[in-house]
Amino acid sequence: MIADLWQAQLTFGLFVFLLTPGFGLSPGLQRVRLLVFLAIGYIPIAGLSLADYMRSFTGDLAITSLVALAYWTAVRTGFAPRQPRAKTLQIVAVMACLALFLYPATMGLSYLDPYRLGYQPRPLILFVGLLTLALLALQNRLGACMLALATLAFSVGLKSATNYWDYLIDPFIALYSCFALIGYAISRLWRNGSAKRRDALSSQPG
Amino acid sequence: MASSMRAHTFSLLSKCLTVLVVFAIFGSAWWLHPSRSVPGFAMALPSEKGTAVDVQAPFYRSRFASSDLDEFVHASSVTSLPSGALMSVWFAGSREGAADVQIRASRYDAIAGEWGPELILATRESTSTAIQRHIRKLGNPVIALAPDDRLWLFYVSVSIGGWAGSAINAMYSDDFGENWSPPKQLVTTPFLNISTLVRNAPVFHRDGTIGLPVYHEFLGKFAEYLYISPDGEVLDKSRISKGKHSLQPTVVPTSEYGALALLRYAGETHHKVLASRTEDAGQSWSEPYPIEPANPNSSLAAIATPNDGLLVALNDLEDGRFRLRLMGSDEGLSFWKPVIDLDESPDPLGNPFSREVYSDIIGDKFQSSSGPRRIGLLSDFLANLDQRVCSMHGCDFEYEYPYFIKSSDGLYHLVYSWNNTFIKHVSFNDSWLEAQL
Repeated sequence: MIADLWQAQLTFGLFVFLLTPGFGLSPGLQRVRLLVFLAIGYIPIAGLSLADYMRSFTGDLAITSLVALAYWTAVRTGFAPRQPRAKTLQIVAVMACLALFLYPATMGLSYLDPYRLGYQPRPLILFVGLLTLALLALQNRLGACMLALATLAFSVGLKSATNYWDYLIDPFIALYSCFALIGYAISRLWRNGSAKRRDALSSQPG
Repeated sequence: MASSMRAHTFSLLSKCLTVLVVFAIFGSAWWLHPSRSVPGFAMALPSEKGTAVDVQAPFYRSRFASSDLDEFVHASSVTSLPSGALMSVWFAGSREGAADVQIRASRYDAIAGEWGPELILATRESTSTAIQRHIRKLGNPVIALAPDDRLWLFYVSVSIGGWAGSAINAMYSDDFGENWSPPKQLVTTPFLNISTLVRNAPVFHRDGTIGLPVYHEFLGKFAEYLYISPDGEVLDKSRISKGKHSLQPTVVPTSEYGALALLRYAGETHHKVLASRTEDAGQSWSEPYPIEPANPNSSLAAIATPNDGLLVALNDLEDGRFRLRLMGSDEGLSFWKPVIDLDESPDPLGNPFSREVYSDIIGDKFQSSSGPRRIGLLSDFLANLDQRVCSMHGCDFEYEYPYFIKSSDGLYHLVYSWNNTFIKHVSFNDSWLEAQL
């Protein structure tokens, strides 16, 4: 429970920090801005903190989301370099695949409930372990870190949830990953189309 | 050259260490989460089935468990406590879904044969403070005494939206309801933990695991079976139905590993009760199929009888909830017989009555239902026939949301919503039941 509340405050601070514009501030001032938002999360209104209100509507984020938020915050505050786009794409592809496997069926479309795999999690642990090794082989440290820390948090019971999936994925990272992947696919198609049109124009007799 | 070698060695060592850490993390997760076997259902012992009460004369009695005249009351449940005592819970407020809805309770004194004053077990504010979330409304409390004598209360709360946004809260008492733990919210779905509701009685497994029948209302309407540890941790769940047409399963163990689930039908096709079976203590369920009794999309409750049959309380109607009937069936669900109409509208089609006519009829029904302790409330009740029973088109009878248990002294106890103004408690014994069948 205490871990849940601490997580709510952290989520609020990181979320607001990343969603609001940086106003071109230096990394040092960005860190001050982050501390201010973390403090704002504690402001109580009618018995609940602002972070608790946000948690009422968002639920507890998955550990993977928290690691991703922490990474982007670290980039904005100058603590970490921005990672290449290809590696971000690998992560969103993994998360989108997990989301598409989990969410549609868990909404009652079939008798198969993938969410149940998170209660008897050994096969899922094995699969995510292999995914983590694959991401490491691709030198994608952020992706491997997200999955490994989620698994570590699951082992120590950092959240009130007892299901492995709740550490791996939540609707926010799922939607973000799916839209990011769709956006990437559209831009690739658009670029390919533009290149073909250019080729067609240049091959026409002048 | 040497520095290049050192860098290469360092890089190799770093990679090996990273892989080792990954193996350690996933290996420990694997080791900490072994596969769990599911024990069979905790069946009532033969000595508990046949007690002195059974051989007594036929016994059937009713009385109101609630006493507040002003509140909309609904979704009651009941559990037996030691020495023949009972505890019933329900929700009460200005209307269903209102912010002022509270989870109320009352205790039944077996010696006096009457229910005591109302108690408040949970409010929107107490729940919000305990689970540190904004709460819009409460509903559907379910109370049950576990084999380890821990008294459990499950109820739903909504932070956002309607009932589809529900989550289940659990609190317990180790002194039979005198003192309660703060509520804890169970995490049961990956989608913002919304859309799991509870309504029907839990069953227990031999190791003390609680089997809680639940249902979903977000996008689809389907039923599930939750395994909850004796400490209140969600261990597993299985799907009883899928799609958009079934909810509120009532589960009746029929053997050590066998159980039957009857479901409320929420579709538009056949308006029949649905049935599903498990042969592996709830791990898997057969596809639900319609059975003989009608169901107007209303809650029902079932319990096993000593002759391996089934007793079901339901609105055996295609439309409306103006008659609550007790029906008996064999275990195969192929033969059904009405036992008694627990409460019904005098109009066979459930048409509304004028306020004057209604007042006379419901006054008589009140007197035959209330029990001696609540009979004094009659005049105030009749003076306050409000929107709970009367609207522009007239006044209606509504008897719904039954909840069934059999106590260890052999008595059947049934509670249900009596026109959303009282919670009615009906008790009877096997002798009475055999006389009806």
